Amino acid sequence: MCFLKFSFAKICLTLGLCLSCFVANAQAKLFGITEFELDNGLQVLVIPNHKAPIVKHMVWYKSGSVDEPKGKSGTAHLLEHLMFRGTKKVKDGVFNDVINQNGGESNAFTSLDYTAYHQFVDISRLELAMYLEADRMQNLKITPQSFEKEQNIVFQERKQVVDNNPLSYFGESVRKVLWQEHPYGLPVSGYPDEIKSITQEDVETFYEQFYAPNNAILVLAGDIDVETAQKLANKYYGKIKAREIGKKADFPVLTRKFDANLQMKLPAAQSKRLMQVFLAPSVNVAADKIYALAVLAKYLGEGETSALYKDLVLKQKLALDVSVSFDYANRSYGTFVISAVPVEGITQAEFEKALKVSIQQALKQISPRKIDLVKQKMLAGLVYLKDNPSEAAYVVGMMASVGFNAKDIDGLDEKIEAVSAQEVLSAAKEILQATSVTGWLLPQEEGE
Amino acid sequence: MPKRRYYQNRSKQGKLKYFVLGALLVAGAYFGYKTYFCFNPDRLVANSVLKEKTFDTKVEEIISPKYKIKAYLFEDDTNPIIAVNFLFKNAGYAGNEEKKDGLAQMAATLLDDGTEKLNRVAYREELEKYAINISFSAGRDDMNGTLLTTKAQSRRAFGLLKDVLLTPRFDEEDITQVRQEMLMGLKIQQEQPQSVLSLAANKELFGQHPYAKNPLGEAKDIAQISRADLVEYVKDHLTRSNLIVGVAGDISAAEAGKMLDDVFGALPENGKMAFIRKADVDFAGDDVTIAKDLPQSIAFFVVPGVTRQSEDFYPLYVANDILGGSGLTSRLSLAAREKEALTYGVYTYLSVAEKAPLVGGGFSATPENFAKVKEIVKQEWQKIASKGVSKQEFEAEINYLLASYNLRFASIRNIAEILSAMQKENLGIDFLQKRNDYIRNIKLQDVNMAAKKYFAKNPRFIAIGNNEK
Repeated sequence: MCFLKFSFAKICLTLGLCLSCFVANAQAKLFGITEFELDNGLQVLVIPNHKAPIVKHMVWYKSGSVDEPKGKSGTAHLLEHLMFRGTKKVKDGVFNDVINQNGGESNAFTSLDYTAYHQFVDISRLELAMYLEADRMQNLKITPQSFEKEQNIVFQERKQVVDNNPLSYFGESVRKVLWQEHPYGLPVSGYPDEIKSITQEDVETFYEQFYAPNNAILVLAGDIDVETAQKLANKYYGKIKAREIGKKADFPVLTRKFDANLQMKLPAAQSKRLMQVFLAPSVNVAADKIYALAVLAKYLGEGETSALYKDLVLKQKLALDVSVSFDYANRSYGTFVISAVPVEGITQAEFEKALKVSIQQALKQISPRKIDLVKQKMLAGLVYLKDNPSEAAYVVGMMASVGFNAKDIDGLDEKIEAVSAQEVLSAAKEILQATSVTGWLLPQEEGE
Repeated sequence: MPKRRYYQNRSKQGKLKYFVLGALLVAGAYFGYKTYFCFNPDRLVANSVLKEKTFDTKVEEIISPKYKIKAYLFEDDTNPIIAVNFLFKNAGYAGNEEKKDGLAQMAATLLDDGTEKLNRVAYREELEKYAINISFSAGRDDMNGTLLTTKAQSRRAFGLLKDVLLTPRFDEEDITQVRQEMLMGLKIQQEQPQSVLSLAANKELFGQHPYAKNPLGEAKDIAQISRADLVEYVKDHLTRSNLIVGVAGDISAAEAGKMLDDVFGALPENGKMAFIRKADVDFAGDDVTIAKDLPQSIAFFVVPGVTRQSEDFYPLYVANDILGGSGLTSRLSLAAREKEALTYGVYTYLSVAEKAPLVGGGFSATPENFAKVKEIVKQEWQKIASKGVSKQEFEAEINYLLASYNLRFASIRNIAEILSAMQKENLGIDFLQKRNDYIRNIKLQDVNMAAKKYFAKNPRFIAIGNNEK
C-alpha cells in the first residue's frame, strides 16, 4: 500500500527497460489487449499470457488524490489503506489472511490521477481475488477503530517515505512551485497536518463518490482466455450497480507563463542535484504532440547514447549523470523533466548555461537519420513487454486509467514510428519555452 | 382424559414435529446462507472454473560440447526471448584485497562499458539498437551477470557478452568517470538513513570480517584503483571453475550448449579467488543507537540463522514467515501495525549466506512510537520461542507456500536467476518438481523446535534516529 507519482520512464525502469523499448514490429500488437465493457460501465482489459498458470488481477479507479476536497490531502491514500480493513461480508483482517493463505501477492497504490488494487495469484485463485475485489467495490465498512489506526499508519508512511528522504522532499517541493494552485501541486501522501484532519466521513464520501464500476477498469493479464474473462467479470462485477460519479477535480487551464527557480538546502543532502521541470502536454491535453516529445526525450536524455549524456557527461565531463523523462500519461498536463548530477566544483549558473548550450547544439544536430535511429532504439524490445503478465497489467492499466484507449496502447509503436524529425524539432522548441521550474537540491555548507 | 391425553400427546408430537421441521429449516437456511451468501474462500476455490494446473517446469542440465561447461536450461517458447543468468562464485566485493575496496564494484560497472572493438558509446549503441540488455553487479560473495535478448538478436547478443568478458575495454577515461560516480554514490549513501544504518550494522556485526565492508567500497581505495587492478581482477575472478549459468527462454539445448562454448569457453580455466572465512558474527553485543535527528527512526535487529543446506532451513523458514516474513499477515505486522498502528512496516527475513547465516529484521517509526514497537518485537520474539506457532498458523503458511509457487515463473529473467540459485545452493536438477513436496513434508513440531532454537534469545538491535524522545 503506497502512494506514487509515475512517470513513464519510471514505469519502464520497473520493467528494466525504457520507453524506448516500445518496439518495432508493426504487425504485432504490443500487448494483444482485448477490451469490452460490462453493462454497468466497468471497462475490462484482458491480456492473455499462457507461460505459467498465473494471473494478475487489477482494479483501477479513475480517481486519485487530485479528486480530494481542499485541505484534506491524503484522503484518497487513506481510503486505499482502509480498503483492506473489511467489508460487510469480509471482516477486518480477513482479506489479507485469505489472499495470503491462497498464495497471492496483494497490494494497492494511490496516485494523483488514479488508485489501483491488485492481486497476483495462481489461476485457480482468480475467482477468489475477483470476489474480494468486487465485494470491496460496494460493501466497504469503515469503523472508527480501523479509521484511527490507518490514519496513524499513513502518517508513519509519509514520515518514512517522504520526510526521511531529502530527494523525495525536494521533488515534492519542486512540484509545488510548478503547479501552484493546480491540484497536481498537492502531495499524494498528504501534508502531515492535513492527514491528521481527515475524518471518517471524508473518506466515506470519497468512496461513495468514486468507487463504482462505471469509474473503474478491470485488468486481467495471464493464463486466461477472453471468453472466460468475460464470464467471470460478469459473474463477480456484473451485479454491481452503476452509480452517479462525484464531481472530479477541476483542472485549470494554465495560461500564465513563468520560469521559477527553487534552491533548497537540506541538512541531509550530500550533493548537488538539478531538476528542471517543464509543463508539458499529456494524452489529455494534446494527444497529437506527445509522441514527438517522447522521441525528443529519448534523443536528448534517455540512456548513455543520448545527446545530453554524451555531451555533458562523456565529452565535457560537467556532470556524472544527465537524464530526461517525459510523463504524458496524466489526466491533466504532463511534465518534461531534465535531471542532472553535476560534477563537484561547478556552480549552478555555470551548469545551467552549459546545459542550455548543450540542448541547443543537440537540436541543431537533429536530422531524419538521427531520429530514425532513436526510433529504432525505442522500438527494439517489444516482446519483453509481453513477458511478465504482472508488469504488462500495470502498464496497460495505468495508461487506460488516464484515458488511453486499448487500440492506442497496443499501437504505441506505430505512433512512435510515425514521428518525423521536423515534429521532434517543433516539439522541442515549444517545450523549452513552456513554464518551468529549475530546482536545485543543495547540501548545507558547514556553519549554515 | 385419555382422549384428552391423546390430544395432548398428539399436540406434543405435532409440536415436536413442527419444532424439528422448523429447526431443520432454520439450519438449512443458515447453511444455505453461510454457503451461498457468506464469504467462503474454500468453496470459491473449489468451485472455480479455472482449476489448478500442472505445467512443465522441467530443467535440463546441459554440458557444452567443447569446453564441457555445465548449465541449467529451462526451455520456454511462449515469447521469442532468452535470458542468461550467470555468476562467478567468490568474485564479490568481500574478496577485495586490502586497499582495493571498490575493485569488484568498479569492475562490475566497467565491464559493461565497452570492448576492445567497441568503445563505450559504440557498445551502448549496439545494445540499445538491438534491445540487448547486459548487466553486472558485484554482490558480497559473487559477481552476478545477466543477459536478456530477443531470439532474433541472440547471436549478436552472445557475441557482445563474450567480448565484454574476454576483452573488456577499461578506458582510462571511463575509469575516471566511474570512479567519480562511485565517490558520489558514497556521498548519496549518507543521505539515506537506511543506508547509514546498514553500514553501521555491518560494522557492529562483522567487525574485522570482510562482510563489514561498504558495498560501494572505500573512498581512499576507489581513488587509487588502476586499470591494471581491473585487468588483474578479471583474469583472476572471471573463470570457468567458479562459473554458474542458468539459461531460460526460447533456446534449444543444442543452441544453449553452443552459446556456453562461444561465450564462456575462452575464459581461463582457473583463477585466484580470495578465501572468505566464516564470520564470527557479534550477535551478543550491546544494542546500539546512532543518534541523529530524523523524522523517523529506523531499527535493524538480528539473531543467528541457518544456511540453505541446514536441516532446520525449511522449519525456520516457516517460523520466520509467521513471525515477520509474510507481510501484513505476520505476527509482528499484526501486532505493531494492524493492531497498534505504530509503524508503516515491520518485517523479518532469513539470510542463508554460507559464511554468516542470520535472521534479520527491521522497522521504522516516529520517535515517540519507537520504543513501543521495539517492545512488541521483543514480546513476539519471546512468544514464538516459548509457545511456538498454532496448527492454524502453520497450515495457513504451508498453504501460502504451495499456492504461491507458480508466481515465480512470471518472467524469463526470473526463471534464469532461479536456475543459477539452484546450482549455487546445490538444490538438485529436480528442485522445481520436488519443491512442493519439501514444503508438504515440513512438520509443525519441527517448526516449533526451530522457533525455540532460533528465537530463544532477544535479537540485537541497532538503530538510527532520536529514539530517546
